[in-house]
Parts: sequence; C-alpha cells; structure tokens
Amino acid sequence: KKCDQILYHLSYYSALVLCVDVGFSMSNSGPGQEPPFEQAKKVIQKFVKRQVFAENKDELGLVLFGSDATKNNLAKDGQYQNIYVHRNLMIPDFGLLEEIQNDIHPGGQQGDWLDALVVCMDLLQNETLGKKYDRLNIAVLTDLDSPVSPDQLDIITGNLKRAGITLQFFLPFPMDTDEAGGGDVGGSGPPHGGKGLSREQQQGLDLVKQVMMSLDEEDGLDEVQTFSDAIEKLSVFKHVEKRPMAWPCTLTIGSCLTIKIVGYKAVCEERPRKSWSVVDAQTHQKEDVKRDVVYCVDDDEETEVPKDDTIQGFRYGSDIVPFSKVDQEQMKYKTDGKSFAVLGFAKQSLVINRHHFMGNQILKVFAPKDDEHAGVALSALIRALDELKMVAVVRYVYARNGNPQVGAAFPCIKEKYECLMYVQLPFMEDLRQYTFPSLENNKKYTPSENQLSVVDSLIDSMMLVEENEDGEKKDLFKVNHIPNPQYQRLFQCLHHRALNPSAPLPPVEPWLITALQRPQAVAARSRAPLENMKKLFPLKEVVKKKELKTSKELSTEQLFGNREVYRTAVWKQGGLQNSGLVTGRTGFQILNIIVTSLSHIINAILRD
Amino acid sequence: MAEWNAYYQNEEEDLDGEEGEESGVDYKTTGRDSLVFLVDASKEMFIKEESGELTPFDMTMQCVRSVYTSKIISSDKDLVALVFYGTEQSKNPRNSFKHVYVYHDLDTPGAGRVQDVDGLRGEDGAKVAAKTMGSGKTNLGEALWCCSNLYSDIKLRLSHKRLMIFTCRDSPHEGDSERDRQARTKAGDLKETGVVIDLMHLMKPGGFDVSIFFCDVVSPPEDDAELGLQMEPCVKLEDLKKRVRAKEMKKRSIARLNLCLGEGMNVAVGVYITALQARKPNPIKLFKDNNEPVRTKTRLYHTQTGSLLLPSDTKRAQVYASKQIVMEKDEVDVIKKFSDPGLELIGFKPMERLKLHHHLRSPVFIYPEEEMVTGSACMFTALLKRCSERNVFALCKYTRIRNSPPRFLALVPQREELDEGQAQIAAPGFHGIFLPYADDIRTLDTPQLPTASDSQVDKMKEIVQKLRFKYRCDAFENPVLQKHFRNLEALALDLMAPEEIEDHTMPKIEMMDERLGSLAQEFKDLVYPADYNPEGKTANKRKPAGGAEKKPKVDISEDELRGHVQKNTLHKLTVPILKDACKQFGVKVTGTKKQELIDALTRYFQKTV
Repeated sequence: KKCDQILYHLSYYSALVLCVDVGFSMSNSGPGQEPPFEQAKKVIQKFVKRQVFAENKDELGLVLFGSDATKNNLAKDGQYQNIYVHRNLMIPDFGLLEEIQNDIHPGGQQGDWLDALVVCMDLLQNETLGKKYDRLNIAVLTDLDSPVSPDQLDIITGNLKRAGITLQFFLPFPMDTDEAGGGDVGGSGPPHGGKGLSREQQQGLDLVKQVMMSLDEEDGLDEVQTFSDAIEKLSVFKHVEKRPMAWPCTLTIGSCLTIKIVGYKAVCEERPRKSWSVVDAQTHQKEDVKRDVVYCVDDDEETEVPKDDTIQGFRYGSDIVPFSKVDQEQMKYKTDGKSFAVLGFAKQSLVINRHHFMGNQILKVFAPKDDEHAGVALSALIRALDELKMVAVVRYVYARNGNPQVGAAFPCIKEKYECLMYVQLPFMEDLRQYTFPSLENNKKYTPSENQLSVVDSLIDSMMLVEENEDGEKKDLFKVNHIPNPQYQRLFQCLHHRALNPSAPLPPVEPWLITALQRPQAVAARSRAPLENMKKLFPLKEVVKKKELKTSKELSTEQLFGNREVYRTAVWKQGGLQNSGLVTGRTGFQILNIIVTSLSHIINAILRD
Repeated sequence: MAEWNAYYQNEEEDLDGEEGEESGVDYKTTGRDSLVFLVDASKEMFIKEESGELTPFDMTMQCVRSVYTSKIISSDKDLVALVFYGTEQSKNPRNSFKHVYVYHDLDTPGAGRVQDVDGLRGEDGAKVAAKTMGSGKTNLGEALWCCSNLYSDIKLRLSHKRLMIFTCRDSPHEGDSERDRQARTKAGDLKETGVVIDLMHLMKPGGFDVSIFFCDVVSPPEDDAELGLQMEPCVKLEDLKKRVRAKEMKKRSIARLNLCLGEGMNVAVGVYITALQARKPNPIKLFKDNNEPVRTKTRLYHTQTGSLLLPSDTKRAQVYASKQIVMEKDEVDVIKKFSDPGLELIGFKPMERLKLHHHLRSPVFIYPEEEMVTGSACMFTALLKRCSERNVFALCKYTRIRNSPPRFLALVPQREELDEGQAQIAAPGFHGIFLPYADDIRTLDTPQLPTASDSQVDKMKEIVQKLRFKYRCDAFENPVLQKHFRNLEALALDLMAPEEIEDHTMPKIEMMDERLGSLAQEFKDLVYPADYNPEGKTANKRKPAGGAEKKPKVDISEDELRGHVQKNTLHKLTVPILKDACKQFGVKVTGTKKQELIDALTRYFQKTV
C-alpha cells in the first residue's frame, strides 16, 4: 500500500507537515471513549517518536487549526484565522516530543481544514524552495466536524498536483461510515457517542473523497485512515531500512564456465545501531570515565609490565607459542579474492539437514539487473537444480583475505523472481556429534496408545495454521511479522526516559505482550486436551539438595554484593593491619590495598 | 584481581547484546574433562590382520593422535593420558606397578605429545614401541589401579572422567581367574569414583567375545536399550575414530529449562549445541623477557579525580537527536527481560511452513532431563513421535537465561537413526531452529530478468549430473584453523616449515574441466552471445585524467553554521566543508564519519550559545 510508504516507511528523504485539528469538536466523545483530540495526539506522538529514534533526516512541520491563537504567513484581513504554525520544517527532536506532550491542548475554536491545508502547502513550498526532497507530504488529522468553504477546492487540488505534494487523512471514524447517520456502522459503533456523523462531517467526508480521488483516482482513498489504525501501525518501532549492500561476484564452474552474479543479505539478525556507553553516575559525562588496561606478571607482587614489553602468543594445548603479529600475518591462510566457486553438486536431501545450517545469514544470489545474458545463464542453473532436486556446494569468500566458507546454494523459484539461496555449511571442526540414549527404544519411556492419542488431540487443538471454507490457509502466529520485542522495549524505555528522566521505567506495552503469547483462540481450544495430558502424564519435579554455590558466584557476591561485608572480611583477615588508613593515604591507594588483600582472600577461597 | 578483570570484560560484551553468549562453557564452574587411553601393548596388537591395512596398535595410535590434535583445537583445557598395559618395561609415577607403562600422564596435550604419538605410528613406530616398552605379561588390574592413581593425583576439579581400553584380546589373562578377579575389582573401584570405562575392541581372528571377560569391566550403558556392547569390533580406522569421538566428548547443556506446554505442565529439557563455528583462539599476551603469559587488568578510572570507579559509580547512556538518555546498568539489563528462562509452547505448524530461509544462527538441540522432572522423557518421547509422524513442528518461545530477550524456535522432531553397525548417527530429540523476526528479514529489489529455455536448462542439467558428488557434513576441514594450528605446531616443535594442509574448500578445477569436456562451451554457446564477456570484470570506470583535482575551499560563516545547528540541517553540508568548519573553530573530532563531524559541531555550538 502506498500509504505505508509515506507515514510508515522511513527510507525516503522527505518533508512532511502534520496538520492537526485542535478545534473544540475534537474534545467531544461518548462516555468511555477517548476524545479524537487525544487519539490524534497519540498518532503524532508515536510518529514523531519513531522519527526521532530513527535519526533519519526527514523534516517535519506542525500546523494546528481550530486553535485559539493564529500564526501563519497568510493570515490577514480576517482570512486564515485560528491556524497556528507551531513548527516550521525541522528535523524532529526531543523538544518537539516534549512540546507535543506538554504544550498542545485542545482549542475552543473551529478551524477550516481546507484553509489549514492551504497554509501547509504554503509552508512546504516556502521552506523547501531550492532544496531537494524525495517526497513532500501533508497529513491532516481531523474529525471534519467544522464548516468549510469549498469554493477553492479545484484550485487547491490543482496546486497540490503541480507541487507534487501527496496528502493523507486520518479520521476518528472509517471512510465507509453509514451515510444515513443511523447506529449501524459496521458494528464498530458510531463516533461521538452514538449520534452518527454530523452534517459537517458528511460534507467533509465527501470533500475528502473528492480531493483524494482527484489526486489519485485509483488508490487515493487508501490514504484515508482511522486514528486507531494509525496508532496500531505506528506502535511498532521500525528501523530505518538499510539499503541492501550488493555483493558483485562471479559464479564459477570449473575454469571456463562463469556467470556474473550479485548477492544480497536476505535474512540476518538485525541489531540496534547504537550501543550503550559508560558514563559517570554523577556527571553523566562519558569523558569522565577512563578505561585503563595494565599487564602484570603472574607473581605474588603482580608486577606491572609496560605494554611494549609484551609480545603476542597462542596456546597450543599445553604449550605457549610466541607468535608475533607479523609472523602470523605472513604465515596465515590467505585467500586471493572474493569467490563463489562451485565445488560440485549434491542431492538436496543430503544437505538439507536443517540443523547443520551454520553462520548467521542467508544470502540471495541474482544476476546483475542489467545483464540479461547472466540472467539466462543463472536461470538455467537455478531451474536445473530445482528439477533435479540438487544444490550447488560452493566455496564462498566474501573478500580478499576473508575466511573461506563451504556452503550450499539452493534453487529458489518464486512467482516474481528466481535466485540461488546461499547458506553456510559446517566444517568438520564445528560439529559435535553427541550420542544420546535412545528414547523410543527404551521401555521406561515408551508412551501408551492412550498417551499418544491425547498428544494427538493436543496437536490438533494447537494447530496454528488453519484452513477456512475457501481452502485458504491462515497462519495465526507468524513470527516473521512480529517486530523484535527487544528493540520495541528498548525504544519504549528510551522514549520514556528521555521525557521523564527521573521516573521509573514503564511496563512492557500490552500489545507487545499479546503479540508474544499463544493466540487466545488456541489457548482456549487447548484447555481440555491439556487437562487430559495432565492426567495421563504424571510429572514430578525432583527435589534436589541445594547445590553449592560455585566459587565464581561466591566471590562475585562478596565483591559486589555488599561493600560492608567484604570490608569486614578484609579486616578480619587482617589484610588492612597498619594499612595506613590513619596515616592519610589517598582514597585510591586505600582501595588498591583493599583490592589486593581481597584478591588474596579470594584466591584462598578458590583454593579451598 | 582475576574477578575484577572478568567483571569488566563481561560488561563490555554485555553492551553489544548477546554476541557469543552461547559459545563457551565456563571451566571454572564445571571442572575439566579427562580421558585416559589404556592401550594393550601385547604382541597381538602388532599383528596385521589379513583384511586390515593397519595393525590394531597403529590404528589406536592414529586415533589417539587425532584426539590429541582435536583437543588442542577445540578444548585445550581437557586432560588426556596415554597408558600401555601388557608391556615388558614398567614406568609409572611410583613405579609400583609391573607391566604398566605410563607414556603420558594426565595433562593437557601439546605439540610434544603429538610428536611422541607420531613416533609410535607405522612400522618404525612398532620398533620404537618394542624397544622402549616391549610386550610382556598382562595384568589389567594393576593397569587400572595405576590409572586410578593418575586421577587421584590431579588437583584440579574434574567434571567428566573417562577411560578407554583399546585391545584386540577378549581374554587378556588367558583364563587366570585371580588376575581376572583383580581387574574386575579395580574396575569397580574406578567406576565408583565416577570414571566411565569404555571398551574400544578391535578386530581379532575368530571374533571378539565381550562376554568372556570385558562385559564385567566396562561401565554399563547409559540406558538399558543402548546396544553398546553388542557392537561389532572395529576393523576400519574411520569407524574407530568415529566411535572414540562420539564417546570422548562430554555432552554439556548450555541450559536446563522447562518446556511449558500449558499451565502446570512443565517438561524438563536440556539445551545442547551440536554445531558451533570453531574459531581461531584469541592471542594471549606474553612478557617478552620470559615468554610467560601476563595478566590483563582492566579498570575504570575517573578522569578528573583519578579514583577507581566501582560498577555502581557508573551509568549507561545513549544519544539520540543530540539528547543523552541515561539509565542504570541494572535497568539496561532488565529491559531485556520479558519472561523467565524457559521454552513456552505456542502451538504447532505443518513442516512446510518452515522455510529454507528461516535461519539466523546454528540451531540448538533439545533432549529431556528425566533427573529434573520424572515423566519428562515419556512425555517428550510421545511428543517427538507424534510430531514426527504427523510432520509438524512445535513453535516455542525461548528465553535462555534471565534477562535474555525472547526468540522463537521451530522445534523440529528428529527421531533416532542408527547405521548398520547399530551405532547412532542421529540422536533423538528436537532441533530448535531460530526463526527471524520482522526486523531480520530484508526487503530486496529483485531484478526482472528473462528466464532460461528448456534446452538451456537441459544443458545445465547435464553439467550438474557430471559434477555430482556425495556430500558429507564432516568432509571439509576449516583451512584457516588447520593452517593456524600447523603453524603453531611447527613453531612449538621448531620444525623447519609447517606441515602442508590440504585445502578441501578449493574447487578441483582440473578434474571438473575434464569431466565437463565440451559441455561448458556448449552451454556458453546456448546462453551467451559471441561478443559477451561473462568474466565479470566490467571495465573499470576510467579515472579522470590529470590527477586528483582539489576542490576549491568553501568557507562558511559562523552564522551560517549556527543556523544549520539550530535547524538541525548540518547534514546538508558536505564532509569537506564540515571538516574545514571543525578546523576553523578548533572543534575536536573523534572520527571522520559525517555523523561524528556533525555531532562534534553541534556540541560545540550548543555550548557556545
């Protein structure tokens, strides 16, 4: 959907104006319902939060209408009143987030949303003059419940088209709300406490349709959405999409057959771009903390030696082999450049031991996009492999002096494209061929027929893929549609902490908790079979005598658990006798002594 | 100070997320593994079987060597010993045992030991063995006693103790019941101290009868059904190596968890790693005067006061949109927590829903832990059987340790598979395959290209058929690792040059060309036009003639810069301009990336407002 590319997609360099209705009707709501104003505020909050954390360079303006105050370039002679340009185009920052949280309140006026649209256009055109943008967009958030003067409509849409400005509407109610204004609105209940749409809203909706259809006849209406849809979509934090890095190479089969290819990472664990830095607890300054590394000889005095007096070595079993960086560099295994060389072809059934997949990425391999001949050659290979149910086993080297891998290139034929899918396979050294006691051949563990049939009913009740009447399959739990909860939570907490520096962190958002749980329908269905399982499979926890704490846990506890405890420990051991606490050494020296004595104590504990 | 060191180093890793969390086992907490090779040195061991290529002794030495080298590479803290029995000469710590020759006592293997074992291989090796040890009377009981002393002499904590007997004689004492009895008693003593005794019996004319004597010596199998003792004696080196390898590695779980099927339904399982990318070990720092390792101490100081900072004296921060957001270290840890450690069943899906591209890292292996929750193995077996028969996988939420964020696993059933010799080639359990989240899947622009015709595909099929081979997962050694260790070996033993490695990852070009014959050209004629160069190298864009032209310097006024800072539009300036600006105002920059330049300038101007 196109709308996804504007408000939900972050890979463009764009300028966007949020045009928010704060007029008095926005505060109206039925009992128990959230006023449209609050919903609209959530939408823009979530959107701005997303932009701030993505740190992309899109510029954002904020225009309010229906406000008590008026501030805009067009306001004169009683025209364009109650329209307030809160912010010109700027990269959104925490200041904006704070302003939205604290300074934006519902107004007591009515604003003409078409007038507001004109102000936004004017703002966009003035501020983007002479600069380059991939996209210009205005998002209007309103309940349409105010009179507008539509006489300029054609001129407005004409200008929008000419300037290449796209438009989005966010409304408190869905587009297809019943026109009769009765109570029957697709089951979701009419807005504004059951009164249906007002005349203004009816008229507004017609105008919105007119504007959107004139901008884009086919998909224009997709750009009109409800507040609640937008909140749901914007709740998910999205990383800025990285432009996939192309890896151009040649596929070789023997010495004379080569095919030009381009590889892309298709699946790879996405990590946050930023890491935590260590700052001083008082000053919050990174510069106040310095990490210091010292080397010391393994003697009783722990004599420090300068870094320059150390050389590099490796362990070879019990031997320690000095091996300088220079020698290592010279003697190490070298590769002479990138490679995607076929070693041979093997049966898929022998290689698809899923549990032998190594590495942490899946590479998709295509022909270069402007090279038809390579395309045909690669297609021949892909189809041949697919028909023979085979894979190419290849040597893969990412770049000169990169470590070589052996991997499998699987044929992958989709409706829209064909490619090879590369995954790394294990080296002999990587495998640990453990043997485990047999389960099914062990009489003690053999389940009875009854037990097996209750397991069957459990599986039936917990199937996550269902078929509906039309034979269409529906997956109730798609992991690849769930955003990584770690990052959702991280950004939720960062956002909260940024705006409320002294408040404790908030709980995990309910939608995220739900997304990670067994779907409700499945949970309900599985209740009875689970009860049966409980009866048929007795499970009993073995009570163990409390395991001794490991030495590591013990010493860590002593070190960091309670400073008082180890201080007394040191005293008792006599480690600080005449330590000079009274003779006026510096805090650091004292600490150093404590640490040294402590390490002796710990060593003693460890030896025990 | 070791603990401080460990503390700070861990902290650094923590900041980068979970990287490496599943890689290793902490020896401090678990103790070390130990393995004693107890090898028969009687005359029979040096006689080559008619069908065999190697003598039993030679086979054993090759096997010992390969365990030594693999220990050096993959678990260099493990202890290994090599003891011969049935020798003429005796050599043991107190020389209290006759006909027992301790060749290597229990220690970590090194280059010297590998070389020693090499010296015992082949015909020359047999001569060396005859000269140094000779073959004499057999007294297995004495030998086992000697081994038990080796274990008790070790001051380190041992977690796993194993002893492997290599012999081709099923009746070592030739019916002397007194010596048989003594051996049984000593074997019993050893087993009582937790030593697992295995028999690696080798081919003997007339067959090896375990029941005559050895059945009472070796440890009982892990469970009733294990067919360990009925196994045929090894004839081939490969089989012996495989058998030793399977036994020699102690299975260690990286976690013991509950697999929760529903409320109050917890099956105890262990999580194992069966494949993990072996990497070059990290270098260690040595003091150059004596080549002894030095210890590294990392500490945090306060830059201003010079005082040592305790962990509680620091906090963690990230900067977004030039605002610093600060959290406690505990908070940073705890926001990763969603649920307690465990596996939580979400539901089941048909196997075809698990796609080939659902891959993020090497999978884990799940096996029941009957010792923690009785009844686990039975329920696990039932689940395994039905999942496998119905061709479904179980979808689970996986939280490995406290404060680790959840991942979803596809639990794919794996039923036990045995080879003809009843040896296990696939263990029973579930493979846990890590499923990608939405963020982990990248959207690609797929090129629109023509597809191949049937004749082109058919020609390629011929090529594919010509280059078929049987893939085996253990066929490829990692040349980088092998080279590294050969280099170390050469340096440790003062060899002139390291032993050459055979690089199996290189395509066998000549053989491939020969097999393909004219097929390659025929295919090219079918798909490539005459003037097409498929070699790839698109002509490098010619560099502009006349060398690099320096762009004229652009000066930018302070006001302009300030304006950009205020409007957050510094990024619109080019890197050279930003660099110049930094120079102009004497702004210190830590890097050369654009964002770093912008950050530095922003900070500068915000302070000087």
